[in-house]
Amino acid sequence: MKKRLLALALVAALAFSALSACSSTTDETQAGTAAPTSGETAAGEAETPAETEGGTAATGSVYYLNFKPEQDAQWQELAQIYTEETGVPVTVTTAASGTYETMLTSEMASSDAPTLFQVNGPVGLNSWRDYCYDLSGSAVYGELTSDDYALIEDGTVYGIAYVIESYGIIVNQTLLSEAGYTVDDIQSFADLQTVAEDITARSDELGFAAFTSAGMDSSSDWRFKTHLANLPIYFEYQERGITSTDAIEGTYLDNFRNMWDLYINNSTCPPAELTAKTANDSLNEFLNGQAVFYQNGSWEYANVVGEGKYTDADVTMIPIYIGVGDEANQGLCTGSENYWCVNKNASEEDIQATLDFMEWCVTDETALQAMTGGEGAMPSGGAGMAFAIPFKQAPESSNLFVALDAQMTAEGKTPVSWNFTTMPSEEWKNMLGSAMAVYAADQTDDNWAGVVSAFVDNWASEYALANGG
Amino acid sequence: MKKALKKYWPIFLLPTFAAFIIGFIIPFIQGVYLAFCQFTTVRDATFIGLSNFSRAISDTTFHHALWYNIAFVIVSTLAINLGGLAVAMILTRAIRGRNAYRTVFFMPNLIGGIVLGYIWQILLNCVLSLLEKPLLALDATAGFWGLVILMCWQQIGYMMVIYIAGLQSIPDALVEASEIDGATPLQTFFKVKLPMLMPSITICLFLTITNGFKLFDQNMALTAGQPAHQSELLAYNIYYTFYGRSGPQWRGIGQAKAVIFCIIVVAISLIQLGVTRKKEVQQ
Amino acid sequence: MKEKTRRINRLWSVVMFFVSVLYMYPIFMVLMNSLKVESAISTSTAFELPTAETFAGFANYENAINAQGFLSSFFYTAFITITSVLAILFFCSMFAWYITRVETKVTKALYLLCAFSMVVPFQMVMFTLSSMADTLNLDTPWVLWVIYLGFGAGLAVFMFCGFMRSVPVDIEEASMIDGSSPLQTYFHIVIPLLRPTMVSVAILEAMWIWNDYLLPTLILDINKYRTISMLIQFFRGSYGRVEMGPMMACIMLAILPIIIVYLVGQKHIIKGVVAGAVKG
Repeated sequence: MKKRLLALALVAALAFSALSACSSTTDETQAGTAAPTSGETAAGEAETPAETEGGTAATGSVYYLNFKPEQDAQWQELAQIYTEETGVPVTVTTAASGTYETMLTSEMASSDAPTLFQVNGPVGLNSWRDYCYDLSGSAVYGELTSDDYALIEDGTVYGIAYVIESYGIIVNQTLLSEAGYTVDDIQSFADLQTVAEDITARSDELGFAAFTSAGMDSSSDWRFKTHLANLPIYFEYQERGITSTDAIEGTYLDNFRNMWDLYINNSTCPPAELTAKTANDSLNEFLNGQAVFYQNGSWEYANVVGEGKYTDADVTMIPIYIGVGDEANQGLCTGSENYWCVNKNASEEDIQATLDFMEWCVTDETALQAMTGGEGAMPSGGAGMAFAIPFKQAPESSNLFVALDAQMTAEGKTPVSWNFTTMPSEEWKNMLGSAMAVYAADQTDDNWAGVVSAFVDNWASEYALANGG
Repeated sequence: MKKALKKYWPIFLLPTFAAFIIGFIIPFIQGVYLAFCQFTTVRDATFIGLSNFSRAISDTTFHHALWYNIAFVIVSTLAINLGGLAVAMILTRAIRGRNAYRTVFFMPNLIGGIVLGYIWQILLNCVLSLLEKPLLALDATAGFWGLVILMCWQQIGYMMVIYIAGLQSIPDALVEASEIDGATPLQTFFKVKLPMLMPSITICLFLTITNGFKLFDQNMALTAGQPAHQSELLAYNIYYTFYGRSGPQWRGIGQAKAVIFCIIVVAISLIQLGVTRKKEVQQ
Repeated sequence: MKEKTRRINRLWSVVMFFVSVLYMYPIFMVLMNSLKVESAISTSTAFELPTAETFAGFANYENAINAQGFLSSFFYTAFITITSVLAILFFCSMFAWYITRVETKVTKALYLLCAFSMVVPFQMVMFTLSSMADTLNLDTPWVLWVIYLGFGAGLAVFMFCGFMRSVPVDIEEASMIDGSSPLQTYFHIVIPLLRPTMVSVAILEAMWIWNDYLLPTLILDINKYRTISMLIQFFRGSYGRVEMGPMMACIMLAILPIIIVYLVGQKHIIKGVVAGAVKG
């Protein structure tokens, strides 16, 4: 059994290197043929273990409530493949952006509740701990490369991170050089500010803006109320030597303000309109070459790079500098807010079926390919999820941004950890987002005081509410 | 006949009654009970007494939603009814094309709340951005007036139809008599038409007031409570407490708010009913 | 005097013409935007007519129909509305006839309960009702009418009762004395009598059910069955994207059948609304 898995991993690695070689020479026809053949042989081999294990779980079924809308199509396809291979029905449902908690709450109350769901970290776990099956003996936990990627409390494994992601500022290098700069010119907040303001000053002549619209519509506001807000929290935690808190001090909120000012005043649209700008708007602006900088993460890779879009050479990602700490050695923001949890209230058969499915996802050739590969990695020929996944057999991700993160870490830069998983509640984020949007439209000190209050005061009150206050 | 019919209750009563039990009575009773519980699903409720109510009452967003809702009901009731009555007065004159105009005014009423909300969100945001004012999601005052405008657009036609029916039921002889007596049109309106219209007015007030309190779809689609719960009506506030907040305590609080909300709406309806009854007796 | 009135009326007619045009503008705006390409639909340009550059043809409509499953949403909405309205008309009229003609303490209590259920806001029962629907497997569009019958019974029963009270029992009694069973009497005498009220009830209930958002959202599985209202809400933020183009097309497609039905059945609809208001 072990040998077979090893062989499988080898095949996976080979197939992957073949694939990435192909994509780097941009020979699409070759990549297109290589993927299905390797997928087929691997599937043939993988069938045996899946069937023997599936035998006991023949009556079970899997219902996966997926958090990541960007990867819905891929999960649907994987579910179908798994059902074809094993006969176990897998339903994948994806919540609309910003509605995962709502959906999970209402789905958990129904008689066919999800068997596999996600929490975003320790805070999310607080709400759902009673529903989490202990994964400590499971095969998927055995596949995990490090306990750092699991939610473990008192020896109980409540959740397993299945994807490690990075975010920063995606840069259109072509436009940047048109403006007379390269990414090497941007090593700190001051640099970024100089470049961005220069581009804004010359935007009529250049024909593009510095930043894509920092849309505060609910499809897009998480990039700021959650991801950007992570930075002042991270630096404060660093300084105080803590990993979570019941009361944030907001030490670096002035830096946060500078950064937010930079985003909203050097953008493709007047700041007052940001509140209605959607994630689509922002992405389209970037794809149409209307702006150089686009704050987003590695999950956005397939939307930015691909046929009719950019190539790996066109784009890169730089850290989000806010003018705090050792900027020369700051890396991308890297972490996970996607932990798989198994619903312990599901029937035994369903739990078993779910555990088998999870194992399949992180060991099967086709599944690994789908989770880590980029363009053409799905058996159907579609783009894969391009994730970096923390499992032993996982091939290296074909995601440029993930590779950049690894490269920066190798150069000795320190990745910024994801501390937004310690934000006290969704409500806290919503109130912060709302205050940020109000400030964007009318940049007065009064309105900024609203942001500070949403950041600091609300943290304490929401923390108290969430923890039995 | 009563006797013959009585035996047939399983056929006549049972289907509706069974559905009524499933669709209303049991959920209602469970709902009242759950307001005193902490729960995530109906099955795992634990009784915790009145603490949901004290938390609901001390929730500032709930206070705000209550006052905002009351203000909204007052303003929108006035606007819709004055608008509806005015249009009805004009369109009962011998005007060319009045049927076509009636058709136009009534139509928005058939469009669903979600659709209405999004149409007006786009339209109002465009107006605000051309005026260089903050958009709907940033300004609770804009959100308030936006919602009032939206509701006027939707409901003026409905009220117009009822007022037209009321105006047409006024005997022409009465109006003519007052004109012959030398009353000005204004006097005719206040002294003759308005008292005769009282039943229609009561109905319209009742409809707009209850509607205003129960409003949900339009509120959600237009502003979704933005900014920071400042444009939330009660129904949306409850919905958000229920489904927008995570944590085991919120459901119970939401249900307690729903009970308070229910009491408010029922009380208003009873008052309305009392007023209507009194009026009918007087006439 | 007459000439003066005529002049005033002409003036009003002109004013009303412009007000009507303004009144229809929001729908026209949606139509315009539904024909534009996505990038041309933004807050500041919503009032602009499509130009050669921004004109998208029917691409948004194709997207709404093909990719977003508008037709199946339309079908579900229509199915739910028709079955629910039929069920309400049939069962509630029976119920109402019984409780007006057989006056006991029980039927009086039932009448009051129905009146009470009309007033109770949906938020009061939204959670328990959806879990009830889930337990009883009433969470598909095929049987959702049971829920609508239960929650919508109040208004229908109230209106039917209001009408039945005004009708003398004589005809029904005569029919029963002639040897008809209560069922025969109901079908041959009561239903024809109730027809105008039934039209009113049908219109009011159909307007509610067709446009209802929260109840189907909480009860139906959004991934399998989306009513039109759910579909439009789904455009906001599903898959992390807001697609304004197809959303506009969907709004248009949602409004169109309503306008057609309205123009065809206008007389009945307005009558129904008036009757419903006067009795409700």
